Formats: sequence, structure tokens, C-alpha cells
Amino acid sequence: MDNDGTQTITRIAEIIINALQLEDVTPQTFDPDLDLVDEVGIDSMDLATIALVLRDEYGIRIDEDDYPKLTTVRIIAEYINTKLTSGE
Amino acid sequence: MIVPAREYKFSEIIADPGIRKRWDKVRRYFFLRESTYDMSNRCNIRCEGCYYFAGEKQFAEENRDPAAWLQLLEAEKARGITFVVLAGAEPSLVPELCEVCYGVIPLGAIASNGLNSLPQEIDYRVHISVWGNDRTSLAIRKAPDMLVRQMANYQNDPRAVWVYTFTPVNIDEAREVTQLLAKGGLKITFNMFSAPVGYKGPLRHTAETLAQTAQVMTELLAEFPETVLFSPYNILAHTRPQGLHELFSCSYPRMNKATDIGLGRTFRQYRTNLQWDREAACCVPDTDCDDCRHYAAGSAVVTARMYRHATDPVTFSAWLDYVDTYLAVWVKGYEKGPNLCDAPVLPPPNNE
Repeated sequence: MDNDGTQTITRIAEIIINALQLEDVTPQTFDPDLDLVDEVGIDSMDLATIALVLRDEYGIRIDEDDYPKLTTVRIIAEYINTKLTSGE
Repeated sequence: MIVPAREYKFSEIIADPGIRKRWDKVRRYFFLRESTYDMSNRCNIRCEGCYYFAGEKQFAEENRDPAAWLQLLEAEKARGITFVVLAGAEPSLVPELCEVCYGVIPLGAIASNGLNSLPQEIDYRVHISVWGNDRTSLAIRKAPDMLVRQMANYQNDPRAVWVYTFTPVNIDEAREVTQLLAKGGLKITFNMFSAPVGYKGPLRHTAETLAQTAQVMTELLAEFPETVLFSPYNILAHTRPQGLHELFSCSYPRMNKATDIGLGRTFRQYRTNLQWDREAACCVPDTDCDDCRHYAAGSAVVTARMYRHATDPVTFSAWLDYVDTYLAVWVKGYEKGPNLCDAPVLPPPNNE
């Protein structure tokens, strides 16, 4: 992962924008601290889809139990970083 | 059990044109957010093992004020509910309230015994319950000529899907019922009797009757593919010795304490007094969760476990068949495609 996580955050934002076909927002303008459930409106099936794309991209497994914790792009980036660092 | 030869990326799985097409078809319905509503505390028949007349909900006062229902449904729509299930005890006794619901949230399904014809203006899916042939229905449901009357009420009605609930005493009658419906060009799907809490009667399944049911379901699916809305994976998931909760971890609030996302956050089960209780909220309240194999439960619970099924093309195809079936059963106008997976896929490990 990039040192400050910016690239990861941008890439996750891009994945979410593509998966949800969001309009009027770019990976660069996507606020990484937006609450994905309350403010973006994603639900469990959206998140499962995003988790599968992230699994492909980063080679990590995202536990179903962890979905509720992944509330923002920044938190997802930190989660991925932790997984990559720990080699899970 | 099918064991994947290697690990697959999700992008590899959906690169298969058939899988991709089905994936694109079903994911358009991921916006569905359901809640269920008991419409009346009355029924025109009384069946053995009825879920409605188990537990406290049967004693809830009935609110028959259309203005109160309108207010409730508008609030439901505002909090993101896009699909309603109108159930207990018998919604056709209050068609004016069903019509109010339809006017606010136009996607939904009504669970009915089919003895009254619902007005055509209520363009929801209508699930008509069948518990065997008419001799068995008379014994279990104390109502004569049920299938004959149901078919008369809903002949040529695109809203109707018959839901055959397999019990230990009607397994061999499913063929007779399916044949009749097939002749009429009608649709049927399968449900499993799941014991209400405390039920000690003869309808609770055993390992033997589960296996017999799986066999009959398999035969009927093969013989009547145009009539039977089901898939091989539906059969496996609903006839295992373990119930759905043990296999998939039920995501309804009653068994799922998480409120962050998914059904644990949005699902409510309203009683006839328009109140709901998170501790009791699930698709068929008062079911013994250890014995739950309900078609309604599976539709949500199996579907929600997409991630764990995305391990290889075969397992994911089985999951797609399940979701395709659920949508065809619940969403009027959704056409089920041919099943993609005939292989015996067992539910993936449940690590929750």
C-alpha cells in the first residue's frame, strides 16, 4: 500500500463509484469519510459486491462479520492495509 | 460436494458469458428492501401448525383505518423500504388496506390461502398456500376443495404463484398438485414446513422426510421445468438436516443483533396494530429457528450470503439460480431463466 494511503483511498473510491454507478462524483472528489450506509446509501448486497472486487484487487479475504465495520472509504483502506500487513 | 480446483477471482467467475448475463440480470434487483405486515388478525380457515396463530402477535388489535396504514406505508417508503410482504392472518379479508399499501409501495407480495380473489388493482405477487391435495387440505386446514377454489379464483392470473409446503404427510401429493397446476399453465414453488416454537405435532420434518422431499422436488423440477420455480440449489439448501440459520446465519433482526447494515438495520415485521418488536422481527415470526427452512427466510438469508458463494463458477452459478428463483417467486413480472447449475453444490461453510 502507498505510504499515506491516498492511492488506496482513491482506488477504493473508484471501485465504489463503478460498482454503484454513482454520478456527479470522481475518485478524487469522493469524500473518504462519508458514511457509506447513511450518506451514500449502500446496503449489504452493494457492500458484498464491493468486497468481491476488493478481494480481486488486493488478494485479501473480507470476513462477512467485518462488513458492518467498513463504514467509510478511509476505514476500508485501513482495513485493507491491516490485512496486507498481517499477511492474512 | 463440488470442491473448486483452484481459487478464482470474482472477475474470472463473471467472465463466463452465461454467468455474467445472469449476474447482470439479478443485481438490478439488489435495491429491494423488504418489510412485512400482518394485515388482519382474522382468517377464514384455521390450519394445523399455522404460524400466525402461534405466539403473541395473534392478540394484537386490528387497525383497519386506511389513513393509519397510509401514514405507516409512507413512513416505510421514506426510510427506504421498496418491497412489502403482506401476510397474516389472511390479507384478502382486508383488500382495502392492501390497496393502500400498493398505492404507496408498488412492489410486493401477498401471502394468501387463495379462497378469496384479491382485486386486480392490487398488482402484487400473490402467493397461494397449498398443503397437499384437497383431501389432505381438508384434514389439515379444515377447508374443502381448496385447490379447486384457488384455481378458480386465480386461473390466468399472472400474479399467482402456488406455494406448496412440504410436510411429512403430503410429500407424495406434490406430484398430483403440480400436475394439476401444470395443466392450467400455472406456477408453483416449494416451501418446507418449519415448526412454530413449541410445536409438537406430526408435521415436523425428520431426516427421512427431508430426504424424501428432496427426491420428490428433484423429480418435479425435472419433469415440470415450466411450472416449477425452483433450482437444484434451492432443494439442497432447504432439505439439509441443518436449518437455514445453522447453514447461513439468519440475517433477520430476531437472530441478528447487528443494526449497521442489511436486514438487521432495515427489516421490520409489523403486527396488525402497526407496532413492531425487534426481538421478534423475522419473515415468519414464532418459527422455531433451529427448524426454519422457510422459502421466505431462504430468499433473504441465502441471497445475503453472496460473498461466500463467489468461490468458483459452479458454486456461484448455484447461488445465481437461487436468487433467480427467489426473484421469480417474489417479484411479479420477473421471468426465471433456466437453471445454470445442476451439480450438487452444498452450502459453503458457515463461519459466522
